Amino acid sequence: MAATLVTGISGSLARRVADRLVERGDTVVGVDYRPPPAALDKRIRFFQANYNKTRIEDVFRHCTFDRVLHLGRVGNLKESMGKRFDLNVVGSQKILNLCLAGGVKRLVVFSTFHIYGAHPANHIPISEEDPLHAGTDFPQIADAIQLDNMASRWVYQHRGIRTVVLRPTNVIGPAIQNAIANLLRQPRIPHLMGYNPMVQFIHEDDMAAAILAAADGEQVGIFNVAGDGVMPWRTALRLVRASTFPIPAAAVELYLSIFSRFPHYLVNFFRYPCVITDRRFREAFHWAPRIPMEDMLWSTVEEARKRQGFT
Amino acid sequence: MSGGRGLMQWAVDPEVDRAVDAVPNRVNGLGYDPWGFNPQAAKLYFSIARHIYAYFRPEIVGIENLPPGRVLIVPNHSGQLPLDGLVIAVACLLHAQPPRLVRAMAERWFPTLPWVNIAFSRSGVVVGDPINCKNLLEADNAILVFPEGARGCGKTFQHRYQLEEFGRGFMRLALQTGTPIVPVGVVGAEESIISVANLRPLARLVGMPYAPVSPLLPLLGPLAYLPLPTRFHVHFGKPLVFDGPFDDEDTEIDRKVAVVKDAVAGLLRKGRAQRRGWFT
Repeated sequence: MAATLVTGISGSLARRVADRLVERGDTVVGVDYRPPPAALDKRIRFFQANYNKTRIEDVFRHCTFDRVLHLGRVGNLKESMGKRFDLNVVGSQKILNLCLAGGVKRLVVFSTFHIYGAHPANHIPISEEDPLHAGTDFPQIADAIQLDNMASRWVYQHRGIRTVVLRPTNVIGPAIQNAIANLLRQPRIPHLMGYNPMVQFIHEDDMAAAILAAADGEQVGIFNVAGDGVMPWRTALRLVRASTFPIPAAAVELYLSIFSRFPHYLVNFFRYPCVITDRRFREAFHWAPRIPMEDMLWSTVEEARKRQGFT
Repeated sequence: MSGGRGLMQWAVDPEVDRAVDAVPNRVNGLGYDPWGFNPQAAKLYFSIARHIYAYFRPEIVGIENLPPGRVLIVPNHSGQLPLDGLVIAVACLLHAQPPRLVRAMAERWFPTLPWVNIAFSRSGVVVGDPINCKNLLEADNAILVFPEGARGCGKTFQHRYQLEEFGRGFMRLALQTGTPIVPVGVVGAEESIISVANLRPLARLVGMPYAPVSPLLPLLGPLAYLPLPTRFHVHFGKPLVFDGPFDDEDTEIDRKVAVVKDAVAGLLRKGRAQRRGWFT
């Protein structure tokens, strides 16, 4: 049986997906531009390769894939914009071309809901055909928008590869180390004075199940993935038992540059809502989230709160 | 949290409490709908709104015309602040049988206003967007929409009770979703906050849709913008039901919009004929 390639394997979500595939007997190859994760399952063959360099080509020479789960979008803002562009745009283009040449049958691309942007005029909920507004507010997200556009075009340009583009909301969970999950683990979390927009979350287990459903399914297209969690930001802060304090909107840039590593360009998500609907995904792939909102948030921070001496 | 609950008990009007409980709503396990409506917070905001409502001593006529299920409530818009919307929303909650929680379609800039955006969202106000409107109509809500928009709200005193141009969006949505339209005439809001001029450059500068100038400004300073205790006369008309394709040409839609506009104008004439003065 041909193998499944999982990109971004050093990240916890891709790892979780890969583990589930291996558990059910699939052959899995993992690739990442970062070093391999600790204690990676021995049944997963690992390659370290930048997606935009020739090493990635060699991965496709070593193995034949019938499925590629491209989960390795770099959302990590520690990487410079130039490097993110190389990995996310140039690298994804390369992976797509390798899929085409290698006769891959199924491609799942992990995009993000950030590309819709948090905008005062946003209607609720946002569906897949709504415009990608984010670029007008923060050009730093250009790489994510271009990756999504490229993959979306691929869906219809190359019908032989049955492509699914997923635009998930905030993914959180005990193993997730993205900007939002790390922010929730802080003991004191600021909010924007006078604003309390609706936010959504999806638990890593539900997200992994969604990716597997997309990988196993037949449908092609672009799909939001949201889960059930719609709540105001400060309700989320209460559920993670963080104390919170207001920052005037005018001072937020200053605050972030001094006290926080949280990406500036996501600030609008704490001011305006960006609530998405995943009705189409649920119908197409017979998937539904299982983790209740409260558990989703608490499980993300439980370890951190224990370390912080929170009982 | 217990402090918050104590405040709630103290501040929430028992009638508002009962009315909000009687409204069927679709909120999730945490008590919110996707737009941010929350019945508990709404009770608090509607209790405050009820005091403002009482200040205007509104005379409500014909509210029994509200049909059950989905409905578009289409009034004239006036008075600089959306006090007309507030009065209609409170009337529908407390005086309609059964109580209706209207979802008002607001200016697209309301989410940018600190605190206001929270109070509005929790009380059920949403951004005036066709997709919001369609989703809420399909869930059989009562939608409050001002087709004059800011043009109506910001108009000056010399243009009082002259209806500005109506948009077409509400009619297309009514046709698309098979929604009856209840025209409403609000008399009294025009005289509550009087504006004799609109300072457009100032409005542009601070990002508001208009900047009213009160004639009492030299006398009272900023206090000139406090609403006068005029009496509101709110007349609800009979539901209008329209037929035809929602994607018809603008001229066809305009013909239907004109019917609604005429109905609103008729209700305004009725309301003005009935009142004996601004404050009675």
